[in-house]
Amino acid sequence: MNPALEELSNQYPSALREYCNGGGEAALLRAYQLGRGAVAAGVSALEVGTVHQEALVSALVETLALAESAPIARRATEFFAECLAPFELTRRGFQEAHAALRDLNQGLERRLSAALQDFESAQDELLEQKRMETLKNDFISVISHEVRTPLTSIHGALNLLKSGLGGELNPQGQRLLDAAYRNSQRLVRLVNDLLDLQRIESGTMTFNLRPVDLRSLLEQAIEASQAHAGPLGIKLVLQGAPTGARVRVDSDRMMQVMTNLLSNAAKFSPRGETVVVEASRHNSGLRVGVTDRGPGVPEEFHERIFQKFAQAASSDRGGSGLGLSITKAIVEHMSGRVGFQSEPGRTTFYFDLPEWRRTVSRGKASENTWPAGR
Amino acid sequence: METHGLAGEGLGKHVARRTLKRILLVEDDPDIQTVTSMALGSFGGYTVHVCGSAEEAIESAAEFLPDLILLDVMMPGMDGMDTLRVLREIPETASTPVIFLTARVQPADVAKYKELDSLAVIRKPFEPTALVETIQDIWIRYHDSAH
Repeated sequence: MNPALEELSNQYPSALREYCNGGGEAALLRAYQLGRGAVAAGVSALEVGTVHQEALVSALVETLALAESAPIARRATEFFAECLAPFELTRRGFQEAHAALRDLNQGLERRLSAALQDFESAQDELLEQKRMETLKNDFISVISHEVRTPLTSIHGALNLLKSGLGGELNPQGQRLLDAAYRNSQRLVRLVNDLLDLQRIESGTMTFNLRPVDLRSLLEQAIEASQAHAGPLGIKLVLQGAPTGARVRVDSDRMMQVMTNLLSNAAKFSPRGETVVVEASRHNSGLRVGVTDRGPGVPEEFHERIFQKFAQAASSDRGGSGLGLSITKAIVEHMSGRVGFQSEPGRTTFYFDLPEWRRTVSRGKASENTWPAGR
Repeated sequence: METHGLAGEGLGKHVARRTLKRILLVEDDPDIQTVTSMALGSFGGYTVHVCGSAEEAIESAAEFLPDLILLDVMMPGMDGMDTLRVLREIPETASTPVIFLTARVQPADVAKYKELDSLAVIRKPFEPTALVETIQDIWIRYHDSAH
């Protein structure tokens, strides 16, 4: 039995008996308080009512003649009912509210735990991503130092041998030395490109944006790439550029982009061909295209040509496989976009940049560009 | 050849008294020592003193009195940056121009070199045949801005 009900059963009859024996309203109130306490402790109104009825009957039987007892019994029961009823209602209300709250809580808990699970798995994913990012950066850091150090000696020694410091080599020796030097250069390029890409991706590459004349920038780029294209028997020409057109770019990065596109174009062109650079107004911006006469980009390779290490296996010509993805990242960083059109015998890689139309750029003529990058 | 020119900062502090003749090369890797000193000696005709550690460099710098110090960054024991701080405490090398030679060219590293009193950073690997020209360019820039 509920301990509260047991206590009520023990104490209530005596209180009611006292009332019936002339104890007055105070005795009735004490009985009521016992009942109310029991309800508050979780005994139902019906159970309290039963205790009341039994106590009343036994009290009346003990103390009074039946005729006298009727109004007293009625009064006691009425008082009891009047006092207890609202309280019972309230209790029921509480129970209902409690039940509703409990349901609501359970719903909330379910949603909360689902959300928590989502959050935790998202957090795990993020941590994993961070871990991979750290791993990648560590790896590049290792490449950056541990590979550069031996490469400095290898490349340096080959460079000095090629300069004739070790004396004249026979033709076979010279061919071997050339091969070693060429491939050491390639390795140097790969290490530098990896670092560049890591700097772009981590957002630590600095861009010193300034308005520059597009035509002179292209002329400089062609000039700088002649040394590379000449030995391949490739001519580089600037076919046209809108006069006075300016773009707001980092000149060094822009040179990197042009050098990359020109060296690709020269690399894939048949000996004796011409690589054409052309700039024009396109839509509302400027388009610079570099066109070669090479075999074209294989169809199956179109989708991922700007991805890292996407170099077509069949056309491995000594690049790092990172040049075009670096080019894309740099151009996009300067609010531009890259693209290409390719068919056998004619491939154009292009980039679009917004035209810089402001007339006077005042102030800083010589910004400190340290670190100047490469 | 890849360099980071240090435009402006700190240059005025030095007063170039002599033409570039004596170079102190501080480099722990013996093979890089060979390649670099050979290039500097053969192509530039410089007098090159090679030190394999920071401690050795600190000991001999005051005696050798270099016009220029080429300083590797990553060395066992004291690194290049701390070496530079110590060299600045020695009266004989307090204002000797320094060029860092380093394989560590991550942006965070470069930011650290920038804070130090150096002329430039030459990134490894470099072309030894072009090293002399690069150093001469830096030397001339340094002269021009010091006067």
